[in-house]
Amino acid sequence: MKPRYIAMRLVKTVLVAATVVVLSFFLIRLAPGDAATVMAGQAGYADETFLKNLRAEYGLDQPLPVQFWKYVDAVAHGDLGTSYVRRQPVLSVIMERLPNTLLLDGFALLVAATGGVWLGALAARRPGSAGDNAVSVLSMLFYAVPQFWLGMMMVLFFAVWLSVLPPFGIETMGADYTGLARLSDVAEHMILPGVTLALYYMASYARLTRAAMIEVSEQDFVKTARAKGISERQVARRHILRNALIPLVTYAGLQASLLVGGTVLIENVFSWPGVGTLAYEAVQGRDNPLLLGIFIVTAILVSLFNLLTDIAYAIVDPRVVLER
Amino acid sequence: MMLDRRAMLAGAGLLAYLAQAWGQSARDRIINAMIFADPATLCYPLANTRLLQQICGNINESLLLFDWQFKPHPNLARAFEMSPDGLTYTFHLRDDVHWHDGVKFTARDMVFSCGVMLPQLNPRSRNSFSHIDTITAKDPYTVVVRLKQPFNAFLLSLMASSAPMMPAHIYEGTQFQTNPFNLKPIGTGPFKFGEWKRGQYIHLVRNEHYWRPGQPGMDGIYFRLCPTPEQRMVAMETGAVDLAMADDIDTVLTSRLKANPNIVTNTHAYDGTAEIFVMELNQRRWPYSDRRFRAAFLHAVDREFLVKAINFGVGKVATGPIPSTAPYYDPKVLTLYPHDPARARALLDEMGLKPGPGGVRHRFGIMLTPDGGGAFTRSAEYIKQALSEVGLEANLEATDWPTQLRRSGNWEFDCDDNSYGEYGDPAIGTSRFYLSSNIRKGVPLTNLQGYVNPEVDRLFAQAAVAVKHEEAQACYSRLQQILTRDVAMLWLYERNPVFFYNRRLKDVINGPNGPSDGLGAVRLA
Amino acid sequence: MSFARHFFARPTAAFGFAVFLLIVVIALAAPLIFARGPFNIVGMPLLAPGSPGLLAGSDVLGRDMMVGLAYGARISLLVGVTSTLGAIGIGVLLGAVAGYYGGVVDDLLMRITEFFQIIPTFVLLMVLVAFMQPSLGSAVIGIALISWPQVARVVRGEFLSLREREFVQAARVLGLGDANIIFTQILPNALSPIVVISSMMVGNAILTESALSFLGLGDPNLLSWGSMIGGSRSAMWVAWWTTVLPGLCIVVTVLALNFIGDGLNDAFNPRRRG
Repeated sequence: MKPRYIAMRLVKTVLVAATVVVLSFFLIRLAPGDAATVMAGQAGYADETFLKNLRAEYGLDQPLPVQFWKYVDAVAHGDLGTSYVRRQPVLSVIMERLPNTLLLDGFALLVAATGGVWLGALAARRPGSAGDNAVSVLSMLFYAVPQFWLGMMMVLFFAVWLSVLPPFGIETMGADYTGLARLSDVAEHMILPGVTLALYYMASYARLTRAAMIEVSEQDFVKTARAKGISERQVARRHILRNALIPLVTYAGLQASLLVGGTVLIENVFSWPGVGTLAYEAVQGRDNPLLLGIFIVTAILVSLFNLLTDIAYAIVDPRVVLER
Repeated sequence: MMLDRRAMLAGAGLLAYLAQAWGQSARDRIINAMIFADPATLCYPLANTRLLQQICGNINESLLLFDWQFKPHPNLARAFEMSPDGLTYTFHLRDDVHWHDGVKFTARDMVFSCGVMLPQLNPRSRNSFSHIDTITAKDPYTVVVRLKQPFNAFLLSLMASSAPMMPAHIYEGTQFQTNPFNLKPIGTGPFKFGEWKRGQYIHLVRNEHYWRPGQPGMDGIYFRLCPTPEQRMVAMETGAVDLAMADDIDTVLTSRLKANPNIVTNTHAYDGTAEIFVMELNQRRWPYSDRRFRAAFLHAVDREFLVKAINFGVGKVATGPIPSTAPYYDPKVLTLYPHDPARARALLDEMGLKPGPGGVRHRFGIMLTPDGGGAFTRSAEYIKQALSEVGLEANLEATDWPTQLRRSGNWEFDCDDNSYGEYGDPAIGTSRFYLSSNIRKGVPLTNLQGYVNPEVDRLFAQAAVAVKHEEAQACYSRLQQILTRDVAMLWLYERNPVFFYNRRLKDVINGPNGPSDGLGAVRLA
Repeated sequence: MSFARHFFARPTAAFGFAVFLLIVVIALAAPLIFARGPFNIVGMPLLAPGSPGLLAGSDVLGRDMMVGLAYGARISLLVGVTSTLGAIGIGVLLGAVAGYYGGVVDDLLMRITEFFQIIPTFVLLMVLVAFMQPSLGSAVIGIALISWPQVARVVRGEFLSLREREFVQAARVLGLGDANIIFTQILPNALSPIVVISSMMVGNAILTESALSFLGLGDPNLLSWGSMIGGSRSAMWVAWWTTVLPGLCIVVTVLALNFIGDGLNDAFNPRRRG
């Protein structure tokens, strides 16, 4: 039963990716500028024959339907085209940067989930208390803070004023660390952007945990457990938390999807060499193949994350039956 | 949990420190510089931008070096003579120079570079070398250049970035734009191409067979990618890089770096280029064709404030087409346009541009150079505000590079901003913007404004061929007089970009071309 | 009106409403109080807050930060409200049609909203704005275009549940046309969830607009809080107020809007309180 469901979902993923390819292709083609003008811009000038050769090389002088079918054919074979600006295959450019984004996303997810759940549990234990209100207010505050500004505040505080953490990049430039030294260097650089990313989502985790835990703790089976004399702690751990996991897992999946395409601002502020900065450069440089490639890769990743979330959901809540 | 992590980080930090200490001496002998973006190519003549000048200046060399007085000295040419009539130049090339791939540098390379490749690819070279009648190799190390008429800036046109020598055995007979060596260049310079990791760095390694004894002083150069100005400043402050070249550091942050005891500043590293930040008006359109509008524009802007405040003291108010540090500058003949908004309004009234509703006399667009909100954009924002005080409403048009090039080349703008270099002689750097013969649609760095003045054409031509310095000076003085009277362009300020380097290095800047002459002489302090 | 009483009974909602009102007043009054506009250069750049005549200091061009902050409110509110109205307009229309007719039309709408959920929406927004050339209009259109799917989903859900109700069937029996039923019968009953999320949407739109301006994709001729922060990226290292103050304005405004949203939610769903 389950394998068939997974197979169906994979097929659906491919279909969705296909839709993304089609729609994005035409959307981005609408934008003015092509390879020739981009590269002429970089060289300072280019004469007509050079531009014509370039257009022929990139197949831009052919009618749109032809270009589209060629592109679809290439994508089906795993070739996402060549970046105008970098003159490298799009897929390899993206794959170079993707691990950096995923690393940051993973760290942010971890920090947000653990921090948020801990805060939410704290607040749920004594609803209405000063601690609970503080958590609520903080949550509301972080929803209202622009991510990029929060990032800049972190830089201001920890790099400009206190000088304790590096504000830019993924590792110290030119140091060429290896092994453990490199790991610690990257970890150090990951702190500011990761925490900034996490803070926004932490608020949501806290709210969700608090709400779920309060709701569950008011249910009969928990009251029964309490009446039976089982300690508060065991009650919390065994019953409340487990039931609160469902909305949390759903939210984690949502956060993962949001993060995949949503790190543009943080990566920009911290000059983190990930897919977000790549997307920004692609927009600035009118690098259509790269943009399209980013859309496709992101779509596939998000679909995969959705699938993983659904599976995790099914594992956590055996009452859920995965069939459609 | 927190404590463990801190301990782990500390331990890792210690390991890192130890590893660093062992590799210390080797790393010390590497120069770390920055680039703000990956260049499209490393073929010097193909894209003669400042980015490429700073990288390829180490790989490719030119025939002559120039000192602070702009006098020529031997480089790849160990001796040179000019005939008394100024028509024939003889260059005696060094016979001990090899290209990075081992092939010997000979007259064939010079004939190919100056005769074929450079004029084809580089607009500045095309201009200068159009004076050449014939260029022949008399023997493998002697080249004779015959000019059509005397051109007193000829030697200056062989300055570093204007005329790098390119290998004939690599490029002759090939399609220059698609030659694979554009990505792994071959030159004669103190450093040769090592590795290009796009998105990370360009690594140049020491040329063990460099012809100049005692050079290069260092073992290699890393040009590390550093896209934002803040990042570059932090890199300088932490010592991660040793050099910050022109425009690497936003003028907002100059004071912060200047105050840093480990950093040395040099404000003359770019005197050879001598750039002026200008605005150009499309003089084919009214009212920009009217001299009074242009004069009003300059009167409306407080250029002292522009330099002192908006540019944080970096630069100097420009007074005309020739920068004050360049030869032939003549302050006596210039018509100046001091900050005088009342005069500006009077001129506009005189032209018939009376204030309409809301006090607006005229609306137009200023096409911005995409510099990421840096000094150029800030200057344009200030100018927009200054102009609005006299009733001129400017609309700032943000663009990207492809659009900017297309629009400026095709004259689809009212006003744009730019930075133009003198490159040592008005015949090289200045004339190209005022000669009617250099009005070429679709080509940047030409007479985009459409300024036409037959007397100016005549004077430039005369000055270029003048054999005597006094004659040339007389022409250029008259030119400065006419051009400033005509307000042929809106000269805002001379840029004087600041060059920063770490105190651990010395002999970094040795002439007006600064890093474009290469970093071969750099040593540990 | 018990609705208003419910709303203002919540202290945060009342506070949010008051703050938001204040910001609206400042935005509207800015041209009256600061007639010379935010681009007027008043002195040397980067003067600290508290310098003579400069309560909030001066920015990197020597402009009065206080004036910039006041005018920035206008841009934020303008873009926030207009783009939200646009998103609601499109979303209501498409959601109503999909929810009412169901079938293929509904499927199509669902696929389109899925598309928006799967692709990186901020990247899409950047592409749209860059393509339309950065300006106030392109920001409004772009934000509206990426925000309507959430509205459509909610409206669709409401219509799906409402269309089988008796009053709708009665209307059909009376011979009322589809358009009539949609707009005069069902829509008024479907709007309350939209009203609840509208203030959050305005808040999000303000955050999004500031992000665009920060990245340099805003209108270069206008001063918004986001562009003030974006223009201070280097200046922050020597003048913290150029970054901190505009950001605080954004936080206060969006927080107020979120409080209002919470209050609206409570007022519309009184059983959820407590």
